[in-house]
Amino acid sequence: MSIEPITGRYLSITVEGAPRRIYFEEAGQGRPVICLHTAGADTRQWRHLMNDADITATNRLIAFDMPWHGKSLPPEGFETQEYLLTTQAYIETILAVVDGLGLDRPVLAGCSMGGRIALQLAALHPDKFSGFIAIEASDFQAAWYDIDWFDRPDAHGGEMGAALVSANISPFAPRAERENTLWMFKQSGPGVFRGDLSFYTRDESLIARLGQIDTEKTPVHIIVGAYDLTCTPEDAKRTADAIPGATLAVMDELGHFPMSEHPEGFRPFFADALCKMPVHAVKAA
Amino acid sequence: MIEIFQNIQSQLNGTPHLLRLGRLFSETVLIEIGGEEIYLGFDRGRLIEVTPGPSRKTPWRFAFRTDAEALQKFWQPIPEAGFHDIFGLVKIGRGRIDGDILCLVKNLRFFKDVMALARPSKELAA
Repeated sequence: MSIEPITGRYLSITVEGAPRRIYFEEAGQGRPVICLHTAGADTRQWRHLMNDADITATNRLIAFDMPWHGKSLPPEGFETQEYLLTTQAYIETILAVVDGLGLDRPVLAGCSMGGRIALQLAALHPDKFSGFIAIEASDFQAAWYDIDWFDRPDAHGGEMGAALVSANISPFAPRAERENTLWMFKQSGPGVFRGDLSFYTRDESLIARLGQIDTEKTPVHIIVGAYDLTCTPEDAKRTADAIPGATLAVMDELGHFPMSEHPEGFRPFFADALCKMPVHAVKAA
Repeated sequence: MIEIFQNIQSQLNGTPHLLRLGRLFSETVLIEIGGEEIYLGFDRGRLIEVTPGPSRKTPWRFAFRTDAEALQKFWQPIPEAGFHDIFGLVKIGRGRIDGDILCLVKNLRFFKDVMALARPSKELAA
């Protein structure tokens, strides 16, 4: 029997003028690192790293469920709304969580759509963070699928979404973690994956902003898996090349959900990324 | 190539969890490998017919078209990137899907798992 060091609590913030109850988990001490989940998933993607004693000895890993995801409920009145994530709401949510938790310039690590928004924040709000780890992240990805497949009354969007994103998981991933990764997609609420993909596949605004990212002040490190069909190594390289001073690592044996699908394979790449991030004096809580 | 799909047929029909997954799938699927046609006839998840083409009178719901070398790579225990998934083959230009794609997507896990039955497990290959 064992009890993991991860603890979970709730934070109340305001986004778009309305309250949001945000579920967050944390583990470790020292430099704060915000960890953003992918589309259609939740904080559980980060649980392996949050249970890694070497990582958490000097890093306070904090992951939170975006509204509509995991244990963060949708806003009041959601039953009559169409969920469509926007860059503006995504940024506002992350900044409100950083402020709400009283964090002083955390590192921001995000995967997939989390990596995309990390790069947006690197361009638009660098003063709020000390560095950016953008995983499976690129400037823009047009959909190679129809996002409306994943929100239909006549079929299970989660099962279809999971079957689709399984294309992005490396065959090197342990079977159990591959299936756990897909399970989160199967559990996501109706229309949530579609609403996330709307942001991910339709908002091109990052492309024009990449050149304004100042990696002298806030380093940007991009990590990409060779088995990622959605954000390929070519996509990540194009993005890194457009950010002066950005660094890039390609993981030959990983896919689109590295921290979740193959935690052992991802660990050295994440540890290396953390080493590239500056350490600021941590403000007393 | 037809023997491989006949082998898939016997494996599928002896795999209860896949039969359960495909219990609503009763369709004909065209597999085209370098111009060679194979029609897979499913009835409630069971693969009841593996029929060689060509045929102009066999209606099919969707088709998956690829080439023999790509399929051989797809069936490796640990395929190269791009060859690891049917959508990967499409993305790298070695596969094409035609017809009722929504029908495929609704049964995507089932169809992917059926196609992967010819892939030896990486544990056995190690």
